[in-house]
Amino acid sequence: MKGAYLRTCCAPRSLRFFLRCVLVFSSRGGTRRPAPKKRGFSGSPLHAWLASLAVKYAPRAPRKKPRPRVARDGSQTRPVASALLVFIAVGVIEQGCTRASGSDDAGKIHIVFKHRPLVGNASVFRERLADFRRAHPEVELTTEVLPNVADITHQYYFTALAARSRDIDVFVADIIWIHEFSRAGFLRDLSSEFPPADIKRDFIEGAADAVIADGRTFAVPLYIDVGLLYYRTDLVPQPPRTYDELEAFAKTAKYKDPSLSGYVWQARQYEGLICNGFESIWGHGGVTTQGDRVTLDTPEARAGLDFLRGLIVHGTSPASVTSAMEEESRRVFEQGRAVFMRNWPYAWTEMQKEESPVRGKVGVAPLPTITGDPGFSALGGGELVINAAAPESHLAASIDLVRTLTSLDANIAFAIANGQPPPRKAAYEDERLKTQAPFIASLEPVVVRARPRPVTAYYNMISDVMESEFSAIVTGIRTTPVAFGRAQMAIDRITQ
Amino acid sequence: MTRARSEDTRCYFFVLPAVIVIAAVAVYPMIPAVWISLRRVIVVFHEDHFVGLSNYAFLIHDPRFWTALGNTAYFVLVAVTIELLLGLGFALLLHTSFRGQKFFRVAILIPWAIPTVVSAKMWAWIWNPEYGLVSRLLPGSEMNWLGMPGYAMHAAILVDVWKTAPFVALLLLAGLETIPVDLYKAAIVDGASPLRIFFSITLPLLRPTIVVVLVFRTLDAFRVFDAVYVLTGGGPANTTETLSIYAYKMLMRAGDFGYGSTLAVVTFLCVMAISAIYIRLLGMPTRNIRI
Repeated sequence: MKGAYLRTCCAPRSLRFFLRCVLVFSSRGGTRRPAPKKRGFSGSPLHAWLASLAVKYAPRAPRKKPRPRVARDGSQTRPVASALLVFIAVGVIEQGCTRASGSDDAGKIHIVFKHRPLVGNASVFRERLADFRRAHPEVELTTEVLPNVADITHQYYFTALAARSRDIDVFVADIIWIHEFSRAGFLRDLSSEFPPADIKRDFIEGAADAVIADGRTFAVPLYIDVGLLYYRTDLVPQPPRTYDELEAFAKTAKYKDPSLSGYVWQARQYEGLICNGFESIWGHGGVTTQGDRVTLDTPEARAGLDFLRGLIVHGTSPASVTSAMEEESRRVFEQGRAVFMRNWPYAWTEMQKEESPVRGKVGVAPLPTITGDPGFSALGGGELVINAAAPESHLAASIDLVRTLTSLDANIAFAIANGQPPPRKAAYEDERLKTQAPFIASLEPVVVRARPRPVTAYYNMISDVMESEFSAIVTGIRTTPVAFGRAQMAIDRITQ
Repeated sequence: MTRARSEDTRCYFFVLPAVIVIAAVAVYPMIPAVWISLRRVIVVFHEDHFVGLSNYAFLIHDPRFWTALGNTAYFVLVAVTIELLLGLGFALLLHTSFRGQKFFRVAILIPWAIPTVVSAKMWAWIWNPEYGLVSRLLPGSEMNWLGMPGYAMHAAILVDVWKTAPFVALLLLAGLETIPVDLYKAAIVDGASPLRIFFSITLPLLRPTIVVVLVFRTLDAFRVFDAVYVLTGGGPANTTETLSIYAYKMLMRAGDFGYGSTLAVVTFLCVMAISAIYIRLLGMPTRNIRI
C-alpha cells in the first residue's frame, strides 16, 4: 500500500517562482535606472542601513554549481533588482509614516480632526470648519470620518492613542470614554483654557461631570443626547406617565389594530441596551453608583430589568427588539407599525420629513416611571478632545478649533441643523433656538434630569459585562438575580 | 556500535533547526503569555503587578468562562461530526467516476477558498431577518436567526460546516485514492455487498486519514474566532461566545491583559489535552499513515 503523505512543500517552490518573476521583470531591458529618490528619507541613517543590507544580502550567482542559472542579461542585474525591491518596500513604509512624522507642507500646520459621520444638515458643520480655515490661513485642516459604530471607533482610538499616535490632533469622543482616556493619559489637560469652574457654570450638569476628572477639564461637550419616549398622538389619549399606563395604552391600541407593535426599544447586545436598562432601573427608583462602587445587584435594578423582560413576555414589545438598535426601532415606528418608541432626539427630525408616514402624528414625552414623575434619561453625547501626543506646535490651533465648534453660537447652529440638544445652558434660553428649533428648546426639562451612566475610568470594561448580562435577562436566558450576581462579581473584580 | 551512536547524534543535529524554529515561534511567545497571566496588567492605566494565581482562581468561579467553554465544546462536537459525515459523503461521491468529475472536484472546493470573514459576512446577509435570502425563501413568520439564543449558535455551526466540509472531503478523497483497487475487485468477486465493502475495506483503510482529519478539524474548531465573531459578535447574551472571542474581548476591547492571557493559556491547555486524548485513543496518526 502506498503512503498518503500530504505534500506541503509546494509553498516554498511557488514563492521562489514568484521572486524569480519579480527579479526577471525588474531587470528587463538591461537598463539600470537609479531607484527613485524619496524626498526627506534618502539621507536618513535608516535608508543607508537598508541600502547596505540590500547590497549585502542580494542573491549572487551560485559559485559551486557548474552551470549557474542566469537572468536574461546576466546575473549582475540581481543586486540592482533586489535593491529595487527594497526601495519599493521602503517607499511603502515611508508612505505609511509621512503623516506620523508631522512634516508640514510649506510651513503649514497640519491639523487632523476625526469625527463620526454627521447627522442632519451637515453643511452647517462644514461652514463652521470653513470659518475656522479662513481665520487660520496658517493651518491646513483635514477631517476624517470614522465608522458610525461606537464600539469600533473606541477600539480605533484606544489602539491608536495607546501607541502614542501623532496622526490625530482633535477628535470627537463619546461621553463615556472621557474618564478612561484621561486616566490613561491620552487626553490633553485643557484646564487652563477651559477652567473646570467655567465648564460647570456654562454646561448642563451631567455633561460637565463627564468631562471633568480629578478637578481638571479634559474635554469640551459638543452635543448631548437623551432618551425620549415617542408616542402616536392618534392612537394614545395622552403620553403615559407610569409604566402601567404605557402597557395599558399599548394594549388598547393593539386591541383596535392587532398588526401594531406596542413599544419598540433597543435590546441588542450593545451599549444602547445599557442605556435602556439604566433608564428602567432609575425609573424604578434604583441608584447605580454608591461612592465609587458601581452597584447593580439591588431590588430596584432587578425590578427595572424584570419590567423590560416582562414587556417582551406580555407581548407589549415584539421579540424582535432583542436584536434592534436605534435605526431598526425608528424604521418600525416611522412606518406606523408601533405605538411607542424609546429613542434619541435625532429620530424627531426624521419623523418630520415630507415622506414620513407618521408626520404630524408623533408626540414626545419624558420616559415614564413607576411613580408617575418624569423619568430619567441616559445622558449620551459627543465631546471634543485633544490628543495628548499631538505635536506641541499644533496646540494653539487645536484649542481654537475646539473653541470654534463649542461656542454658544455653534451650539445653537448645530442644534437647529442636526436636531441634537446643545450642552450649554444658555442655548435653551436663546430666541433663535426657541423659534427655529422649538422641539429642541422644549427638551430642557428632560436634559436637566438626564443622568450619566456610571462615571468611572473602568466604564468600558464594566459595560462589556453589563451588555451580556442585560442581554441574557431580556432574552430570558437568565433570571435577574442570577444575571446580576454574575455581573456584580465581574464588576467588583475589575474595579477592585 | 560507535557508528550507530554517531548516527544517533547526527539525527539530533538534523532535527535541531526545526526545534529552534518551533521554540522561537511557538514556545517563546507562550512563556510571556503564562507570565502575564499571573499578573494584573491594564496597560493603559499603567497597572502591572504580580497577583499569583488569582486570575486562575477567578476563572474557576467565572460563569462566563464556563459558558464560553460549553459553547466552544458544543460547537466543536456538532460542527466536526457533521463535517466528517458530510465530507465522507462528498469524498465517496467524487471518488466514483462520472462525467464532469474533475469539474465537481474543483467546484466543491470553492467555499474552502473563500476567506472566512467574507463567507461569514455573506451568511450574515443571508440570515438578515428583513431582506435576507432565508426569510424570503421561508415566508410567513419573520425569523430573527442571529438574534435568537439557540438558533444563533446553529447558524454559526452551519457556516463552519459549509466552509470546511469541502476541506474534509479533500483530505478523505486523498485517503480513498490510496486504497488499492485490487481489494475492491476481490471483494466483488467474493460477492460482497456495497455496504459490506464499505465497512470492511473502505472504512478500516481510511481510518488513518480520518484520524488526521479529526485532529485537524477539532483543534481548528476549538480555536474558532472569525466565523462566529463576524456573524454574531458573541451575542445574543454571549450564547455564541467561544473561548477565543472571550479572550479577544478581554485583551483588545477591555484592555485587561492579565485575565485575557489567563483565558488564552487555558484555551491552549484545553487544546493540548484534546490532542493528548486523540493520540492516546487513536494512536499517533503519522505512524499509522507511513507504511
